[in-house]
Amino acid sequence: MFLKRIVYALCVVALLVGAWGVYDRLAYGHQNANYGSYVVWGLWVAMYLFFVGTAAGAFMIATLDLLFRVETFRGTGRVALWVALVSLGAGLLSIWLDLGHMDRIWKVYLQGNLSSVMAQIVWGYTLFGLLLLASLYLAIRQPRGVVLRVLMTVGLPLSLFLSGAVGALLGVQASRLFWHVGLFPVQFPVFSLASGAAAMLVALGLFGPRDDPRRGQQLWILSLSTVVLAVVKLYFLWADFSQSIYGNVPQNVQAVNAVLFGPYWWAFWILQLFLGTLVPVVVLAQPRLARHNGWAGVMGALVLFGFAVARANIVFPALTVPELEALTTAFTGPHLTFSYFPSLMEWAVTLGVSGLAVLAFLIGNDRLPLRGKEAA
Amino acid sequence: MSEVLVEQDVLVRMQEDLRRALKKPRRERRWVMVIDLRKCVGCHACTVACVAENKLPPGVVYRPVLEEEIGTYPHVTRRFTPRPCMQCDNPPCTPVCPVHATYKNADGVVVVDYNQCIGCRYCITACPYAARTFDFGQVYTQDTPDGLPFLLGRQTADDYERVPSDEYGRKWERKGEESPIGNVRKCHFCLHRLAVGMLPACVTTCIGRATLFGDANDPASLVAEMVARPNTMRLKEELGTEPRVYYLL
Repeated sequence: MFLKRIVYALCVVALLVGAWGVYDRLAYGHQNANYGSYVVWGLWVAMYLFFVGTAAGAFMIATLDLLFRVETFRGTGRVALWVALVSLGAGLLSIWLDLGHMDRIWKVYLQGNLSSVMAQIVWGYTLFGLLLLASLYLAIRQPRGVVLRVLMTVGLPLSLFLSGAVGALLGVQASRLFWHVGLFPVQFPVFSLASGAAAMLVALGLFGPRDDPRRGQQLWILSLSTVVLAVVKLYFLWADFSQSIYGNVPQNVQAVNAVLFGPYWWAFWILQLFLGTLVPVVVLAQPRLARHNGWAGVMGALVLFGFAVARANIVFPALTVPELEALTTAFTGPHLTFSYFPSLMEWAVTLGVSGLAVLAFLIGNDRLPLRGKEAA
Repeated sequence: MSEVLVEQDVLVRMQEDLRRALKKPRRERRWVMVIDLRKCVGCHACTVACVAENKLPPGVVYRPVLEEEIGTYPHVTRRFTPRPCMQCDNPPCTPVCPVHATYKNADGVVVVDYNQCIGCRYCITACPYAARTFDFGQVYTQDTPDGLPFLLGRQTADDYERVPSDEYGRKWERKGEESPIGNVRKCHFCLHRLAVGMLPACVTTCIGRATLFGDANDPASLVAEMVARPNTMRLKEELGTEPRVYYLL
C-alpha cells in the first residue's frame, strides 16, 4: 500500500531527526530548550497531555467492542487497545524527557507523595499501562473471556479518572487563573474521548483492512462522535473564554488574550479552530464522506492535530502571564523570559516521539494479530 | 555628634536577635523578613550578594528586585520591591511535589532537597510569586575560549564557577548533570549562614538597611516590632499563602 510506505518513510525520517534531538537532550540536558523558569512547561508537556489523553480516549473506544460488545465495532477493540498503548508510551516518553533528573523517576513510586496530583497520575498511568498490556494480551488470546471483561470494566472508570486527573493537574493551581477552572477535570475526559475517536478514524480509515463490511458504519459513528465532541469542546472554550473576559481579572484576561490575539494567534484560529475543528466537523458531518476511508482518516488526523495544538494553547498561555508584572525586567538571563516558542531540539524530540508512536502503531498493525477470526 | 550617627546599627541589633533565636529550639523560632520599601534604593546589592553567596549560575535568581515607575510627570517616583521566597506558612508549592522534595523544615523555611527533586517543575507553576527557578546547568564561562600556553582562558576564568555552593549546609559542586543542576532552586533565607550565626547575605549587604531579619516569636526582636506596625503588607495576601516576608510601606 502506497500510503503506508510513505508513512513508514516519514516515520524513519522523524526518528532520525528525533535521534538528534534526544542526543542533544541527553548530552546537554535542558540547556537548549526554550522553556525556562517562567514558562516552565513547554512542548513536551503539551504533547504528554495530548498523547495520554488520546490513550485514555482510545481505551474508551475499545470498550465498545470488548466490554459492551457493540456489534458494529466488533473486531476493533484490539486495534483501539494498541492505539492506546502506543499513545500512552509516547506520552510517558515525552514527559520523562522533560524531567530534570530522569534517573530519579523511581522516587515517585517508592517515595511518592500521594497527595500530589502528579504522583497520583504517575501511579494511575502506570496501572493503566499494565492494564492495557494485560487487556491486549487477553484480547488476542481470549477475546471473549471473563477476565478481559473485568479488566475493561476496571479500565473504563480508570481512563475517565486519569484523563480528568490531567485536567486537575492544572486545575488545582490557584495561582494560575487560566488553569484554575473547576470544570477542567470534566472537560479533559471529553477531549480525551474526542481524540480517541479521531485516532480510531485514522487507524481504521487509513490503515485498517479494506474488507470489513462494517467499516463504513464504524467510520460514520466515530465521525459523528468526533463532530459532537468537537462541538462540545467549542462550547467549553466559549464558556471558559467568555467568562474570563467578562470577569475581567487581569491575569486571566491576559492569558485569554495571549491565546486569541497573542503572537501565536494563528495557532488558535488557523490550526486549532479552522484546520483542527471547523474543516473536520464540516467534512465528517457528511455521511458519504464520513464513511469514506480516506476522508475519514485524513479528517481524523486533522482533529488529532487540532487537539495537540489545543493542549499547547492550554499549557503555554497561562505561563506567559507574569505572576508579578515587573518580573519581566527584574533580572535577565537565559531561560528567564515570559515568551515561548519551542526550540529546534524540542521540535526534534517531539517529531521523534511522534514518529516512534506512529511507527510502533504501524508495525503492530501489520505484525500483531489485531484482527483474528473474532474480528472478521 | 548628632543622635542619628550614634544610633546603633540595626545589623548589630539583628545579630543580637539572631544569637538569642539560635538558642531556642528550632520549632519555637519564626524566621521573618521585613523589607522597608521606603529605604530600598534599588541598588541590587542584595541580588548580587545572593548570587555570590549561593554561587547561582546564569538564569537562577533567588532575590530579584522589581522596579516600577509610578505616577506621571512631574509626580513620578520609582518603587523597588525585592522579592525573595515568601516562605509561606501555607505554601502552594509543597503539596504538589510528587516526591516530598520540597517542604517546610523545622524552622518553617520552605526548602528543596536537591537529591530528592526529580525536576518536574510542578512547584514552579504552583508558586504565585515566581520565587522558584530551574537550574538548566548553564555556566557564565560557557562561551569563553579555552586558554593557550601564553594566554589565560576558560580553565582559569571558571575557577569561581567550580567553587561549591554551601546551601543547606552541604557542598554542592557543579559537575555533569549532578544536583543542583536539573533541580528547582529557591531562596532559603541562607539557612547555612543562620546555622553558624550569620544573617542572610541579602540582609548584611543592604546599603539602606532596608532588609530586616529575625525571629518574630521573640517579642524583643526588631522584626517582631516591625511586623506589628500598621503600615505592613504582604504580597498577594488574598491567596491565603500567609507569607513570612513583610513589606513596610
